[in-house]
Amino acid sequence: MLQIIIQGRGGQGAQLAGTLLATAFFAEGREVQSFSSYGGARRGTPVSSFIRVDDKPIRLRCDIEQADALLCFDASLLEGKFLATAGPRTLIVVNSRRPPEHFAQALPGYRTLPVDGLEIAQRNGLGRIVNSALLGALACAVGGPALATLTATIAAETPKNGRENAAACVDGYGRIDSQLRKAAA
Amino acid sequence: MSAAETRSLLTGNHAVAWGARLARPKVVPVYPITPQTPVLELLTEFQAAGGLDAEFLTPESEHSVMAACIPASLAGARVFTATASQGLMLMHELLHYASGARAPIVMANVNRTVASPWAFWPDQTDSLAQRDTGWVQLYVESAQEALDTVLQAFRIAEAVSLPVMLNLDAFYVSHALEPVHVPPQALVDAYLPAYAPEHFLDPERGESWGNVVTQDMYRRHRKSLGEAMARVPEVAAEADREWQALTGRGWGITERYRCEGADLVIVSLGSMCGTAREAVDALREAGIAAGLLKVRLFRPLPAAELRAALAGVRDVLVLDRNFSPGAGGVLHQELRGALYGMKHAPDVRGVLAGVGGVNVSAAMIAELARGARIEDIVPEAVWA
Repeated sequence: MLQIIIQGRGGQGAQLAGTLLATAFFAEGREVQSFSSYGGARRGTPVSSFIRVDDKPIRLRCDIEQADALLCFDASLLEGKFLATAGPRTLIVVNSRRPPEHFAQALPGYRTLPVDGLEIAQRNGLGRIVNSALLGALACAVGGPALATLTATIAAETPKNGRENAAACVDGYGRIDSQLRKAAA
Repeated sequence: MSAAETRSLLTGNHAVAWGARLARPKVVPVYPITPQTPVLELLTEFQAAGGLDAEFLTPESEHSVMAACIPASLAGARVFTATASQGLMLMHELLHYASGARAPIVMANVNRTVASPWAFWPDQTDSLAQRDTGWVQLYVESAQEALDTVLQAFRIAEAVSLPVMLNLDAFYVSHALEPVHVPPQALVDAYLPAYAPEHFLDPERGESWGNVVTQDMYRRHRKSLGEAMARVPEVAAEADREWQALTGRGWGITERYRCEGADLVIVSLGSMCGTAREAVDALREAGIAAGLLKVRLFRPLPAAELRAALAGVRDVLVLDRNFSPGAGGVLHQELRGALYGMKHAPDVRGVLAGVGGVNVSAAMIAELARGARIEDIVPEAVWA
């Protein structure tokens, strides 16, 4: 089973990102479960979205305590209880303009992959809407869902700017892809 | 919609809304409350798009919602509503009234902590505190079970003339997006024909409800309500069997999971049963003969089924995601009552697990189960 936690702040689209990710995996024939948990409906407060993906129906009805991957919309959230769900093998994709070396130093022992979601969003005319770029980055890091499935899901399901969001997703995917190639070289 | 079943991704809340739509209710009074709001959001979208021919009422409170549900139901309309937590609390007075009026209303309740303090987490104290109101209560584990249970609930409600409340846990079911089979309308129409009660309020007919009664009339009415309640286990089991024959999905009024030869059985309600299945598998793998008994029908408590399921079992561990101060876990208390006087009754231990929405993992349940076999039995529930 693949277990992913997306953490953002209310209004950033972390909950929708979880839905889109689950929808894309489902489109590839996988069994999925995605749920969000939040307190009061306020902008700016932390929002978690939990995604489970498996080849058999998912029965667990509890939080993810040890994640295979984290997608963090805001580097300031990468601490405490959320960071505690990551182990040495967990892939952490974080929305940040800082280089990988910064996180290697700041969070030793973690596999952190930064991606500048804001820059990608602005380049694609999406303002501060970073979730599509970050989903592309996560899909590349995790190895699924396929980029074509994810962009098709995003184009079909996003409330507006489907084409721009799909383009941002491709850009996010590419950034992590080149980062991983560089690290492997 | 096509004739075949479609499988799509739905949250528990949206699955409830689909179930309600397929049941073709005529009146839907609603008031929004987190985490139930998506139920009525989707229902009103259905109505706006012409997919649901029902009258929607949006009064100023949940008390008024139930006050609208009762006369609509007594007028012969099929009535659906949904609420959660504080909304259910505010309805309390009229919950008694609805069952007394023998109004077969179906209501979905999303189980959420009750204030104070203010919170939004999964906890079943809200609905379990309504156990004496004369409503049939069912607890579901998944979005699919939620959809199916809405339809079964109408069958049960209209067969015995009692209101039915189906309960789904906040977030773990209400906001969990997962694959759900949506049955075709024609299948549902065959399963659940239009509501056509023998008695209903109509100025042309001269029937009435709500007169002041004598002591004996009141006593006889309560007795008759009890007799209707007593029929529910059989009616609910039959409604479930018919649903299974049509769709291949049956849920039982209780479900035994890997209970063959089990000497330790975990008993719980709602979403925690899903996690407990993983714990049971892990325990079995470790050589411990564990099983799960899921209680789907909680009111009336199917005592005969529970006694049969637990006959010969040595240890029972009840997991309660609720807290009744001064009594402990509600299911723990109820199960001990159901097993009282049973020859060779199992040792029943109660754990307050997940109260306030605290996370309960499969590993934690397995650990509690291992502990239950060695610790002394105490009458009180223990905090996990």
